[in-house]
Amino acid sequence: MNKGIEKLMFNPIRLKTISFLMSVETCTFKALLEVTASSKGNLSVQLKKLNEAGLIKIEKYFQKSYPTTDYSITKKGKSSFEDFYKQLQNYKDNE
Amino acid sequence: MTKEEQLIIINDAIKQTKTNLKPLGYNLIFWSIVVISMSLFHYFFSQIVQYSYYSSTIYWVSIPILGMIYTTYYNIKAGIKIGYETQLDRVIRIIWCVFGFAWIFTVGISVLYNINPVQDILFLLGLVLLMNGLIVKFHNITIGGIGLLIFTVYTYYNPGLNLLLVNVIGISFGMLIPGLSLYFQKKDE
Repeated sequence: MNKGIEKLMFNPIRLKTISFLMSVETCTFKALLEVTASSKGNLSVQLKKLNEAGLIKIEKYFQKSYPTTDYSITKKGKSSFEDFYKQLQNYKDNE
Repeated sequence: MTKEEQLIIINDAIKQTKTNLKPLGYNLIFWSIVVISMSLFHYFFSQIVQYSYYSSTIYWVSIPILGMIYTTYYNIKAGIKIGYETQLDRVIRIIWCVFGFAWIFTVGISVLYNINPVQDILFLLGLVLLMNGLIVKFHNITIGGIGLLIFTVYTYYNPGLNLLLVNVIGISFGMLIPGLSLYFQKKDE
């Protein structure tokens, strides 16, 4: 598996974010804040890193004149997470 | 962070995803009340609803369109409040959008060919409710959908029935009661 991806998944906030996005179509920043239980600043930094790695998609738009951001997982993000999860399962099974 | 800790984090994050079924229950109750009220009003005040050739068509098209606008607004608001959309939410939304288009198409055809669309719409509704019930694994909705389908088939073989009362009975048992039970009983999935 890509070492860069493995390194990204090593951070609990990034791992929580990717895991949550795997099971939803889209979600807001507020929902991710609740799931990750992190601070706004820290979550923003981690989301930026995931976005730069091409694992998540960030869509910004206006809703009733308020800026809104939706987050979703990309195809690359899905396949990377699946590989990562398989690797974890294999490790657990081989123990 | 160990591999075990990573697995725990993944499982915990996935477990936090819940499909909120209350909005579906609310939608079913809302539409049941709208359709039943409209049918009863039409039945008891037919001279008002049918005062001209197109008045009943306007009555049966304009109010449901207003209802669609309201429910779209309600569902968007409910979605914003929850903050995420699950795959199940998306499937349910798509099914009801398809039903909305099918309803518009059926009403359009019925206006063009001067056919009463009640039975066709009830049949479509029965199918959609059956699908919804099976998808969200809620037996009352599944039974309501099956009941509505059977009832609609029965009305095809009994052409003398008053279709407004058919609407009231079909919607009450097929959608209102299952909708109420979903709204008050179902916990999040």
